[in-house]
Amino acid sequence: MQNMELASYIEEAINGEVDVESLVERVEREVKEIQEGYECFITLANDIRQQVKNLEKTRKGKLFGVFVSVKDNICTKGLRTTAGSKILENYVPPFDATCVEKVKKEGGIIVGKTAMDEFGFGTFCVNTPFSIPKNPFDKSRSCGGSSGGAGCISRVANFPHVAIAESTGGSISCPACFCGVVGLTPTYGRVSRWGLIDYANSLDKIGCMGSCVKDVALLLEVIAGYDERDSTSLKTPVENYLHALKEVDEDSKIVERMRVGVPKEYFAEGVDEKISSKVWDAIKILESEGIPYEEISLPTTHYALPAYYIIAMAEASTNLAKYCGMRYGLHLRLEGNYDEYFSKVRAQGFGEEAKRRILLGTFARMAGYREAYYLKACKVRRKLVNEFKQAFSKFDALLAPTMPILPPKFEEIEKLTPAQAYAMDILTVAPNLAGVPMVSVPCGLVNGLPVGLHILGDHLQEKKILQLAYFFERVRKEKV
Amino acid sequence: MSVKIGLEIHVQLNTKTKLFCRCPTKETEAPNEHTCPVCLGFPGSKPMLNKKAVEYAIMVARALNCKVNRTFIFSRKNYFYPDLPKNFQITQYEFPLAVDGFVDVNGKRIRIKRVHLEEDPGRLIHVGGDITTANYVLVDYNRSGIPLVEIVTEPDFESGKEAREFLQELSTMLEYIGVFDKEREGSMRVDANVSVEGGERVEIKNISGFADVEKALNYEILRQRMILKGGGKVGRETRHFDEKTKVTHVLRRKEFEEDYGYIPEPDLVVYSLDEAELKEIFARLPELPSQRVRRIVSRYSIPENLARVIVYKEKALADFFEECCKYFEDYVEIAKWVATDLLKCLNWHGISVKETKITPQGFVEMLKMIKNGEITARLGKEIIKQYVSTGKHPRKILEEMGIERIEESKLREICEEVLRENEKAANDYKNGRKEALQFLIGIVLKKTKGSADPKSAAKVLREMLES
Repeated sequence: MQNMELASYIEEAINGEVDVESLVERVEREVKEIQEGYECFITLANDIRQQVKNLEKTRKGKLFGVFVSVKDNICTKGLRTTAGSKILENYVPPFDATCVEKVKKEGGIIVGKTAMDEFGFGTFCVNTPFSIPKNPFDKSRSCGGSSGGAGCISRVANFPHVAIAESTGGSISCPACFCGVVGLTPTYGRVSRWGLIDYANSLDKIGCMGSCVKDVALLLEVIAGYDERDSTSLKTPVENYLHALKEVDEDSKIVERMRVGVPKEYFAEGVDEKISSKVWDAIKILESEGIPYEEISLPTTHYALPAYYIIAMAEASTNLAKYCGMRYGLHLRLEGNYDEYFSKVRAQGFGEEAKRRILLGTFARMAGYREAYYLKACKVRRKLVNEFKQAFSKFDALLAPTMPILPPKFEEIEKLTPAQAYAMDILTVAPNLAGVPMVSVPCGLVNGLPVGLHILGDHLQEKKILQLAYFFERVRKEKV
Repeated sequence: MSVKIGLEIHVQLNTKTKLFCRCPTKETEAPNEHTCPVCLGFPGSKPMLNKKAVEYAIMVARALNCKVNRTFIFSRKNYFYPDLPKNFQITQYEFPLAVDGFVDVNGKRIRIKRVHLEEDPGRLIHVGGDITTANYVLVDYNRSGIPLVEIVTEPDFESGKEAREFLQELSTMLEYIGVFDKEREGSMRVDANVSVEGGERVEIKNISGFADVEKALNYEILRQRMILKGGGKVGRETRHFDEKTKVTHVLRRKEFEEDYGYIPEPDLVVYSLDEAELKEIFARLPELPSQRVRRIVSRYSIPENLARVIVYKEKALADFFEECCKYFEDYVEIAKWVATDLLKCLNWHGISVKETKITPQGFVEMLKMIKNGEITARLGKEIIKQYVSTGKHPRKILEEMGIERIEESKLREICEEVLRENEKAANDYKNGRKEALQFLIGIVLKKTKGSADPKSAAKVLREMLES
């Protein structure tokens, strides 16, 4: 089943060649086994059978009969949503996020809420009091973060599945890379954020993860589009991404006409040489298929990491203010004045990394420091956008390694200082800050662990990068 | 010791829905009824800007002669308080809606520093006391998210009275624009900053009602002067005005400027209006009270003081006046009657002219009756009272009073009778004591139950006495 593309499965399911209802029992059993073995989920849906029953009446939809996992910072009506935080341990949203609403409307079945770092604060999916997912290639290693659960289930699911994930600074690309799956982070504003529990609103992007490019393209087609409930969502019409991939099957010239750039800063110090070499192999494969590359420089990359953390933490520190034990989430015995009560709830409810980001983010916004940190970071961001825009005036895509390291062991992660952990985002934060779309595709193994090729595109050029990723996925399969 | 006062005025705009969601703004008895995930700040909810509120705020800014910015943004003002669902308020900080305006009040120019749009927090209900003494506090989020315009003045006031007069002007202006419901509780709330020469700036928070603003300021000026005269120091602090005792209490001392850690609101995009859109909004701005006074004075040639009384009482009264002018040419007479007797009756009932059943046609009919001598002015005053309270047509009222017009011959008859019965007074008059005439007129009026015109009675009596 795993090798079957979702598109063909859906066709068969609609035609009745595959009976979704008879699949359910197997899926439920498998999900439980996966959960026991890998801890991908924070909460499992307990109404899968009912959802399928309701579906059978319609027999239509772009995702008919597909089992969809949802990152736990995306609201699901009636299904607990914790954002990986103890402070929302018992929070059951009264509404669906727009993307969830759309998936349900197209016949998708919500299987559960995938594990994540608390509010998305992390690169290894370990900063949470709930499930910490294990890497499918080596259970002693991390799945990457923050959408670790989504990456893991996308790899191990042996049933028709696709994952809704979310990225602020690399939280889709990183786990996609570490788990050896495809992860697409769309342009900022392409997918409505209504129902997404905010980390850093100006950076948060809901995206897709799956076992192949086609599955990811299909999900994007469903969840993308303008939504009046999210003022930052874009009105540009959504393209038919799946069809765009079929066009590549029909005429590979579409891809062969593309020009790609390779930014040297993304192969600099700090990037594992074996990873660099694996990614260069991938670039050479594309070259041999008639897609020439050119080495370029993106000098502002150097400043992206501090700028990202300042902006993300500044926004996060305001977003997390609402969790004070008054209206939802963690409640404690009412004692003292409101300041004392709020402080007590927050001290007990937030994990260490959340507290660190609240403190640092508050500091960056304070009068007297605002100019030096927050406002300066905003300037760097502007500069970065311009730099990318300039590069994309010349190139259709930029190629780089997704992560600078192989999936680390949990014991290694424990030894990292916060600054060392933040540095692991060095390759993903710049495109995330610029809000450009990116897709990570597996490009081989090093020491039996997966390596990701990162394909970055210009704003709203999801179609192009998906076509290139799809082409690469195909030629690589042929080579192997 | 000179005094400097600056005001920050929060005005609730009367849009149908809230600033960032579609919850109704209308009042309701049930607490937390008009709430949703957005105005309760639920995880995953996002604000969605109400364009009508932007339009209203722009109209206010324009009326205050401000420079309206064509692009502006919203910001997060961060502080923890139980009435604030997100523990930050979406307001404007850098790049507000409008800046640098002014209003002329009684010949003095009050400068407006800025006008911006923001969301109202929820309402705290202090049970069993006030903010300092309550047993416990309840929170009602019905108010959370109602659009507010905040108007910040420069410290241009020198007394409580000036501040009150400005607020009255502002309130009438807002009512004329039609964006504000002055009857609604808490629809205009004022923070006042007061400093007396030699002392620091003191802020009095959340005063509603113009009279209370004046009282709070007068109290505060006195309090600070006393301290300073006694050689004491007035430090930076925030005070609360107690509506019952009419004095201020200290809420908290401020050692330094509060730090709200503002950042731009990342869930809302930069708001831009092009020149044409802005012009279109400006064009919808109705005539303002000061402009109306000028126009009414020049168009109807009535005294300015009467025009002011009518215009500033309420828009509906000025509309009523102008409507009356369509049916009767004696504008000064209309103005006098509207500004005095009609106004008195309305004030006595505490209602708007809109809430009565009187019509310009009926009102004018009565004025005509007075003019052609059908009834006396005195009787007119009586009729207005009944007209306002019952809404019955003046002619009907007159009929029910059983009073008919007194013919000249009838009047002469009555006057003769009065002179016969009051010989002493008549002789007094003849002997040069002219004031005796008033006494005689009084008796004539009494006999005719007020239906005789005093002027005509005087004329007839004089003729008889002097012949």
